Amino acid sequence: MLELTTLRTSYDAFDLGPIDLTVENEVLAVLGPSGSGKTTLLSTIAGIVDADGGMVTLNGTELTERPPEDRDVVLVFQDGALFPHMTARENINYAATGATPIDALIETLELTEVLDRNVETLSGGERQRVALARSLATEPGALLLDEPLANLDAPIRHRLRHELRDLFVSLTIPIVYVTHNQRDAAVVSDRIAVIHDGDVHQVDTPTELFAHPETPLVASFTGNVNVFRARIADHDRLEWSGRRMCAPIDGRDVGQSVQFCIRPEHVSVVQSSTNNPNVFAGTVTKSVFQGSSYNLTVQLKHATDPVRLTLSSRTYDRLELAEQEQLRIKLNTNYIHII
Amino acid sequence: MRQESILSPDWLTVTLVLGGVLVCYYLVPVAALFLSVPLGDVIVQMSDPSVVQVVATSLVGATISTVVATVFGVPLSYWLSREQSRRSSIIVGIVVLPLVLPPIVSGMVLHMVFGPSAPIGRLAAAVGVQTWRSLLGVVLAQTFVASPFVVVTSLAAFSGVDPTLEAASRSLGKGRLTTVYRITLPLAMPGIVAGMALAFARAMGEFGATMIMAYHPETMPVRIWLAFSGRGVDTAFPIAILLVLVSVAVLVVLNTVASNPWT
Repeated sequence: MLELTTLRTSYDAFDLGPIDLTVENEVLAVLGPSGSGKTTLLSTIAGIVDADGGMVTLNGTELTERPPEDRDVVLVFQDGALFPHMTARENINYAATGATPIDALIETLELTEVLDRNVETLSGGERQRVALARSLATEPGALLLDEPLANLDAPIRHRLRHELRDLFVSLTIPIVYVTHNQRDAAVVSDRIAVIHDGDVHQVDTPTELFAHPETPLVASFTGNVNVFRARIADHDRLEWSGRRMCAPIDGRDVGQSVQFCIRPEHVSVVQSSTNNPNVFAGTVTKSVFQGSSYNLTVQLKHATDPVRLTLSSRTYDRLELAEQEQLRIKLNTNYIHII
Repeated sequence: MRQESILSPDWLTVTLVLGGVLVCYYLVPVAALFLSVPLGDVIVQMSDPSVVQVVATSLVGATISTVVATVFGVPLSYWLSREQSRRSSIIVGIVVLPLVLPPIVSGMVLHMVFGPSAPIGRLAAAVGVQTWRSLLGVVLAQTFVASPFVVVTSLAAFSGVDPTLEAASRSLGKGRLTTVYRITLPLAMPGIVAGMALAFARAMGEFGATMIMAYHPETMPVRIWLAFSGRGVDTAFPIAILLVLVSVAVLVVLNTVASNPWT
């Protein structure tokens, strides 16, 4: 178990923490935008950046004052940080402790074909596999990964993130996986910690985090989510721009100002006129083709803030939608989350 | 399109012509030197025992001073490359000082420390080590003027090694020494060897400081000066050709070692 207790540091005029996190033998994704402190956090855990305060412990052993080589914590850098004067095999052997069967690692990570190539000639995906094999060859007590998929093309990224997930499941060590990509975080991790401006804002399972972000900031990191201001109207209704709609109020005080969010994929288009309070009329102001889906922006008649929704291409075509088309949308009560 | 216009043949031709003028400026005088003396005269000089002794003094002195400059200069340049502070800037300034001092002044300042009436010179003499008019004096003078080449060139080489690679190595469980030996040094080696080559060349050609510190035993530049001042410039040409040949031969060897050592 990797534990961070009020860990803080200052690096390049950036203040990180204090951060409290516990990582069991699981994958914790640290999700946040560029400059939020993700890499500084990993570097501090790895001992590359000194902590100004707090503690890092691994399986009960304090690491805070130890140099990087005595921590049993391996950091996989964003571009792999492979040694350019060595082949892929030499890179892996450099780290090998002798205890780990290197052949099995090489087979698992499909590196047999590239072993004797100079690392400068490897593709981005191959470099990351070599970096991962090199790290695992040390039999680390904990593994830290700094945006390992950041520089890869979309198809390779898609494939590798699933492969990483399978690999991580087979490892029984704490793994901290830093990324700015929500999809990477959701696929790879058991839990996600959202970090911003050097502070952790929420730690939860991917499904819980995406469904119930605790703050608008967290909501904004979990996709192109709609966030609106509203007021609690009664025990099961919100008042939003003068209209009352059903929502899970969960005992909040009547009259309280709140924000609510709903993900674009949970906004649906309804064809018939209805008295449902959660159905609103509006106009499509923007339509962007995304391959298998369309992202629509709809300006409602009653509200100033536009609503974003995602429709499958099939649904979009069936409804014969287009920009400036009138439509009705429904905000499903079950997917409305009050922040 | 922009890149194409920069790399277009016309533009490259202009750069080649301008650079070619400079290359000719280097080559023509050296060629004139070689054409000024019959090859036989150079061979006769090479068989003269006193000339052999002079060549040996220059080679041994330059080799020792290059080794000394490397042993002390490479660690300093590594530290400078990893220490980004005001004091490192000051130290770089101190290191390049011998490059901007006139060599004769370098000899004078060395003489004030290692000369027969200087404290260290007297102390060394008391224990039987003569720091002037000796091979040690030659080495002291050559090291003073040549070692900055090792430091400055190695500093550039170490600065070009991504610190992330060192961090990766240490994160993989390797200590500082192993990391420097197996990662940093191999990657910086071409630059270090280039610095050694420059230092060796500078040491071989060193004259001003050596004249003050160690007139004897004679090095090749000192012998050239003596020949020139005693019997005229023509008598200095054969030994000058020898100096050029020896220096070029050593530089070719070092350059071969320095070129891309990991392939």
